[in-house]
Amino acid sequence: MAVLKLENIARDFSDGRQIRRVLFPTNLEFERGELTVLSGPSGSGKTTLLSIMGLVLRPSEGAVFLEGQDVTTLSDDDAAMLRLRKYGFVFQQPMLIEGLSVMENIALAFAVQGARLPDNFRDKTEVLLKSLGLGETSHMQPRLLSGGMKQRVSIARALIKDPAILLCDEPTSSLDAESGQAVMAILKRIAIEEGRVVVVVSHDARVFPYADRLIKMENGTIVSDTRERYVEVSGLR
Amino acid sequence: MRSLTALRMVVHDRSSTAGALLGVVAIVFLVGQQLSILFGLLNYMSVLVDHSGADAWIMSTNVRNADAGDLISGRHVDRVMGLAEVEWAAPILIGNGLFRTTDGSFESVRVVGIRRPRLAGGPWDFEKADEQQLLDLESVTVDRLDQAKLGNPLLDQVTEIGGRRIRVGAISEGARGFQGTLVFASLDKVKEIARTPPGRYSGILIRFKPDVDKKAAITKIRAVMPENSVYGTDELSRLTRRYYLTNTGIGGSFGFSTIIAVLIGVVIISLTMYTSILSRARDFAVMRAIGGRRRDIAVVVFSEVLIISGIGLFIGFLMLATFLNATRGSSIPSFFPMPVVPILAGGTLAVSFLGSLIALRVALKAEPAAVFH
Repeated sequence: MAVLKLENIARDFSDGRQIRRVLFPTNLEFERGELTVLSGPSGSGKTTLLSIMGLVLRPSEGAVFLEGQDVTTLSDDDAAMLRLRKYGFVFQQPMLIEGLSVMENIALAFAVQGARLPDNFRDKTEVLLKSLGLGETSHMQPRLLSGGMKQRVSIARALIKDPAILLCDEPTSSLDAESGQAVMAILKRIAIEEGRVVVVVSHDARVFPYADRLIKMENGTIVSDTRERYVEVSGLR
Repeated sequence: MRSLTALRMVVHDRSSTAGALLGVVAIVFLVGQQLSILFGLLNYMSVLVDHSGADAWIMSTNVRNADAGDLISGRHVDRVMGLAEVEWAAPILIGNGLFRTTDGSFESVRVVGIRRPRLAGGPWDFEKADEQQLLDLESVTVDRLDQAKLGNPLLDQVTEIGGRRIRVGAISEGARGFQGTLVFASLDKVKEIARTPPGRYSGILIRFKPDVDKKAAITKIRAVMPENSVYGTDELSRLTRRYYLTNTGIGGSFGFSTIIAVLIGVVIISLTMYTSILSRARDFAVMRAIGGRRRDIAVVVFSEVLIISGIGLFIGFLMLATFLNATRGSSIPSFFPMPVVPILAGGTLAVSFLGSLIALRVALKAEPAAVFH
């Protein structure tokens, strides 16, 4: 069974005078252990699709199924609860909260609804940070980190809850080539070794070699959906 | 974690925190300072009544405040003394006179005559000498804070009030009236100064015996002398204060300045919190995206307000305490009753939350979808 299934998803936006369709009816399914790259020119609808997949935007038409359950019309609070339990997000900018240390930024993702942090949280975070090449940074302020390090912290923030789905919006666009490669390698490893659904929105061709599946969009429609193996290139499988 | 996030935001956003703090401090200090002066003046208004040591006062009928009664017959003293509940009763006579100052000019004073040897209703605290000086017919007391106005008369200095010879026998402490400078003297001296008809007094002070039901005793006296007004001391104090508050414009004036102080505080808090939250809008969108509900955002915003208010209350009350300490014993009337402290703190907290409502609205509007480019 697909972890995430989109059934005839479409999305309209209104500017008050006219309604404009930015995403035409789309069907997609996402499996564990696969890194999907969603690509296309600006305005092609890929971010809208990602937002719907992440339950931060409701589709105008169609249905979203998460682990077989219809989650299309959940209330705001229920959708937030699902995002907390099932999703991890990595944004174009790291979007770490200034004033909070690295550890606290990660903790917030765990306890944003006020839950008590588990006893092993600190150890788990340290291990996670170390695995992302961020050892000894847990007490640092984000402003002291480089762009690449911040983005890796945001990956740690997304992963700390062990999400089934990791959605990444242009995670490498604000990074230099080397940092971008490092981030993509981490995401690839997370998808394969940890068996998660990883979806990366990007128009940067340098990330394509990491994709197990490449979906190309234009004008709100999927124009190609191919499963190509770049195993040899990435060297991860 | 939400409270910790709020704390970190408060510490990190120093300029907006300082602005919001200023608003809270402004409310606490400005309102507190206004109230302390109002309470100080309230004390002046009813100073004679509050420090009389009596349980009840008999005054002329239809009295509107303790300073404006008609003269009543001294026979009532004997009638009241005949009641089993009464321990003592003493007349008091209040008149006006012109005090000849050291440089030969005149200053209007309120002369308060008290009966020797009990001296009930007399001054209660002294800087120099004591109430025993009033046993001397010529002797009067002036208050330390009024000395400058009266030309700084020295102890034992002889001068005149209303053309009658008097001697400054003692310097009182804290015996200042709302209507004017208070000078205490013997009943006989005040009769001379004010030229009142014999056997007529401004009021009669009554002290009940211990364990007497004061309310029942006052009701009994009212029945005995229906031609006069009989008040419990607290009742007359309240009546006097209310009279001055409503008839002199002082209540409206202080009420207005208090409202202005609150408004200034609310505006400062609103603007700074609004700016602060606006600059954090992206962070709140991130929090929503990673699973925060609107109520979680509200918890963070209200925690920020609570932290800022807590610190602001501490600083504000510290400044207020400094002000009260600095004005203690000075000619600036200031008094801050302890029961008002939690009321002012609670009110400030409520106003701070009110001021943050616009900021909260902005924070709650943060859409999780906004985090995607």
